[in-house]
Amino acid sequence: MEADLKNLMISMMEKGAADALVLPMKQADGQSVMPALITSPLEVEKAVFLWPSFFINTARMASCLSFKPAGRKTAVWMRPCEIRAFTELVKLNQASRDELVIMGMDCPMALDKKACRDYMEAKGETADHWAGQVYPDPGSSGRTVSLACSVCTSPVAVNADLNFLFYGSPPDKGAAVEAGTDRGREILGQLALDTGETPQGREKIIKALVQARETAFEEMAEGVSRATDSLDKLETFFGACINCYNCRNVCPVCYCRECVFNTDVFSHEPIQYHQWADKWGQIKLPSDTLFYHLTRLAHMSHACVGCGQCTRACPSDIPVASLFSIVARATQAAFDYVPGSDDPPPFTEFKADEYQDVVGID
Amino acid sequence: MEKVDLENFEPVIIAFVCNWCTYTAADLAGTSRLAYPENVRLVRVMCTGMVDSQYVIKAFLEGADAVVVSGCHPGDCHYINGNFKARRRMKLLRSILPMFGIDRERIRLTWIGASDGIEFAHIMTRFTEQINEMGPCRPRPQSTLIKAG
Repeated sequence: MEADLKNLMISMMEKGAADALVLPMKQADGQSVMPALITSPLEVEKAVFLWPSFFINTARMASCLSFKPAGRKTAVWMRPCEIRAFTELVKLNQASRDELVIMGMDCPMALDKKACRDYMEAKGETADHWAGQVYPDPGSSGRTVSLACSVCTSPVAVNADLNFLFYGSPPDKGAAVEAGTDRGREILGQLALDTGETPQGREKIIKALVQARETAFEEMAEGVSRATDSLDKLETFFGACINCYNCRNVCPVCYCRECVFNTDVFSHEPIQYHQWADKWGQIKLPSDTLFYHLTRLAHMSHACVGCGQCTRACPSDIPVASLFSIVARATQAAFDYVPGSDDPPPFTEFKADEYQDVVGID
Repeated sequence: MEKVDLENFEPVIIAFVCNWCTYTAADLAGTSRLAYPENVRLVRVMCTGMVDSQYVIKAFLEGADAVVVSGCHPGDCHYINGNFKARRRMKLLRSILPMFGIDRERIRLTWIGASDGIEFAHIMTRFTEQINEMGPCRPRPQSTLIKAG
């Protein structure tokens, strides 16, 4: 599979379908895999497409490459959640599809941090080996998949120019690709690949997978709600939080150009801390931990795509994503909003007559 | 540390009221010598559209038992559409905060016009009664309790 994908990428560059590529590439330590921008087909050799690690959400990187024109066409390899996050950023004018070719795929999932480290250290495991296990049978790897991935009900790409179909596709038979947009159709025309059928059994595998994930989500939701259904419990949940703001920094849809928590609003006068301590008995330092997480929920839960980067980045091992994804469900249901769709974000518009259920004291 | 005194519980209710409508109504209630509970602490803002979600969150974190945002009726907003924005924000907060034990009925949005002084007093009285019924939002010692009697 990897070899076929590499050949396709090289072909895209040689035929002028793309001037540059953003692909997951093995880094200098021989283990870590990060999105990297390459402008020469010679670099494609180092790509690892279906590695089960998810170090960083590429949506934010694609936004860095497209918020202004570069004059070059770049094809970007992105997981379904990364594409949805990228779409959210496009809607906020922080990214653009004009010069990008979005390459989506049936998601290879990611292992949780520890399992991922073990996987990387076990030399001899290859991406093809991983793909060979999880695409015919997503639950068969025997390793701990990241919690966010294990409850994700959107494992297939939406809105991609090119979409790689892996579920049901035996790895030794090569990768199937379809076009999702006119730009994608044009590129496939340029590449002149063999045509064929959609991999057999793909729909069935996806249906069963989504069902299993939904059940897992509900299980997780039950546990997290029980652990956070009061402000006191929420304080316990975030008891180890050090306000490092990693979760915010790695979140692909945390869109504020300047976070309010970086401003003087939160440079409290020293006497203010004393007054709070007088009132509450103790005031944890750094302060405003709950305020920070509740604010982030208010600001971005409508756009949360459940990628799990927040949990991955937390130095205190707080399962941030599990809380944020259940709140995201509630917010997205309230506004009937699907992140990654073409609908305008809920707080960029309003109507003269709506949400009457919110108004009134009887 | 004082224990929470449920018998003498006096809710703390923060009301973000818009200058042009609800605050004027409150002022009218005052000049008409209409009483409404001291539990309601008014914060005057120019428009409900400027009530950031963070104001409401902060109020609850600081120990408020309820928050009401009140402004002009739709179509009457001094800034045309501020109240529409407020409505969307309150929809958001009423979806998120109940997940953390802050009952939806503690987070309210109302429209009270400038001449509705009587209605203002009635609504605030009724709301205070409702919150009194519901009890403290987050039972813990508060040095800002109004002593009864």
